[in-house]
Amino acid sequence: MIVFENVTKVYPGGNTALKDLSLHIRKGEFVFVLGHSGAGKSTFLKLILREEKATSGRVLVGGKDLTRLKEREVPYLRRNMGVVFQDFRLIPTMTAYENVAFAMRVTNIPERKIRTRVPYVLKLVGLGEKMDCLPEHMSGGEQQRVALARALVHSPQLIIADEPTGNIDPELSLEMMELLSAINSVGITVVVVTHEHELARRFHKRVITIDHGHLVRDSEPGKNGWGVHSDEAGDEADAPLGEVRL
Amino acid sequence: MNWSSFKYLAHQGLHSLRANRLMTVASIGVLTACLILTGIAGLFGANINSLVAYLGDQNETVVYLETDLTEEQIAQVDTAIRSMTGIASVTYMSKDAVLETYKGYMGDSASLWDGFEGSENPFMANYRVVLEDLSDLDAKVAELEAIPGVAQVNPPTELAGVFLGIQKAVNIAAWSLVVVLVVVSVVVISNTIRLTVFSRRKEINIMKYVGATNGFIRMPFFVEGMTSGFISGCIASAAVLGGYALVLYFSARKLSGLWATVIGASLLPMGQVWYWVVGGFILFGVLIGSLGTAISVRKHLKV
Ligand SMILES: Nc1ncnc2c1ncn2[C@@H]1O[C@H](COP(=O)(O)OP(=O)(O)O)[C@@H](O)[C@H]1O
Ligand SMILES: [Mg+2]
Repeated sequence: MIVFENVTKVYPGGNTALKDLSLHIRKGEFVFVLGHSGAGKSTFLKLILREEKATSGRVLVGGKDLTRLKEREVPYLRRNMGVVFQDFRLIPTMTAYENVAFAMRVTNIPERKIRTRVPYVLKLVGLGEKMDCLPEHMSGGEQQRVALARALVHSPQLIIADEPTGNIDPELSLEMMELLSAINSVGITVVVVTHEHELARRFHKRVITIDHGHLVRDSEPGKNGWGVHSDEAGDEADAPLGEVRL
Repeated sequence: MNWSSFKYLAHQGLHSLRANRLMTVASIGVLTACLILTGIAGLFGANINSLVAYLGDQNETVVYLETDLTEEQIAQVDTAIRSMTGIASVTYMSKDAVLETYKGYMGDSASLWDGFEGSENPFMANYRVVLEDLSDLDAKVAELEAIPGVAQVNPPTELAGVFLGIQKAVNIAAWSLVVVLVVVSVVVISNTIRLTVFSRRKEINIMKYVGATNGFIRMPFFVEGMTSGFISGCIASAAVLGGYALVLYFSARKLSGLWATVIGASLLPMGQVWYWVVGGFILFGVLIGSLGTAISVRKHLKV
């Protein structure tokens, strides 16, 4: 699903955010990307979203080489991904329903589909009762779930979350992670970026650790506890975004 | 783009007009003022052109006869002028006819001329010769001067020259004004749009992440800019046509004498200008609105 081949990202001004990073995230995986603040985690996500371009190396998502993707193809790439941010990024003047519907309205989806799809995804994240609430009348956990519903609205093959639990209570962040696990269980690839070791440890999932732009550890729960991840299954890397539907 | 998305994005643009009320009013105000000034310049120019065309049609060369000619001599001059080629019309004005014309120019003060009737008449009898082609003027004047009994030939050159000069100056001034005003309007509109880009940056950011195309992201801004232009065009049309109606009204009622003749004959009637003004203003306003938006979006909206 996601392949990084010797990716280096140097920002204009000379900041090297990622250095010679190679990794492979398979379709349907649940991966934590762990690292201190400034390690390069957000840059990693921006490269997947094609918000930034790699300075050198290749980034492939769903078989598409993002380093060669045309500018006008980027929006269509993003419709196959859902993003959730630490700060939720909801529009404060819009209700939960309107916020989710917004994502569909600006991507040319007919109103008829919006009317059935939006309540469906809001129920999926447990907000069926709060559809008409404004963000200010919701808890942080609820707002984050609205953001997740919005990320799910295009039936993406990949969900990307940048510090999704940074602004919500610990119990609620557990709830959020369980929601992401449930989403992953139907075959959607999930990449969660966090600086909280605890969070990553609690779920027995693959953890990719980045430090100063370098990949320093890539481990997944093996038979003998935490083992170093070996990249033998390179097969699906170039498969197009699949047909999993949520 | 499907209809519901179009409606939604258009609504976003119209909403920004209201949300940025102060800047919207300012930009519509500036654009309207620019359109009005442009319209006045344009109408003034068009009327000067019409006046020049009118005077061109009135290209009468006045041929004065010597005062002491006998009837036969006058008849000879008459035949000589009428047998010339390249002449559109010849009118004989007796002394009395000239006096009557001047009385007409003076309007209410016509009685001032009462003492100049009959043998006191100071005017000279003359012929009004209209040429078919003004470019022959010099040759025809020479030909007229050569006719025995002709005292003086007054070609219309000076008058035509003066008005051609005015026409040129007015055209240059009008076009320079239009250029300056277009630049000012575009700058003001693009600044207003810049503010909208700033106030909607959160939505723009979300639109990018959910996969909205650049066209969709830009559309509300164009709706906003073009609507400002459209509204300005409507206001300016109403103002300029209202003003022009007043000009027509007063020139018909208050002018008399020579001015009434010249201006009355060359002022373009409302029926001939209104659709140019309305169509031009709205088109121009919408064009400037989209130009301003395009500049601002290019500069401030990184999509
Ligand atoms: N737009 C940018 N321009 C220049 N430097 C940047 C930019 N974004 C991030 N950086 C730098 O790149 C490094 C990695 O940043 P980031 O990927 O945001 O880290 P993290 O998300 O792990 O905190 C930091 O040193 C940061 O200062
Ligand atoms: Mg970050």
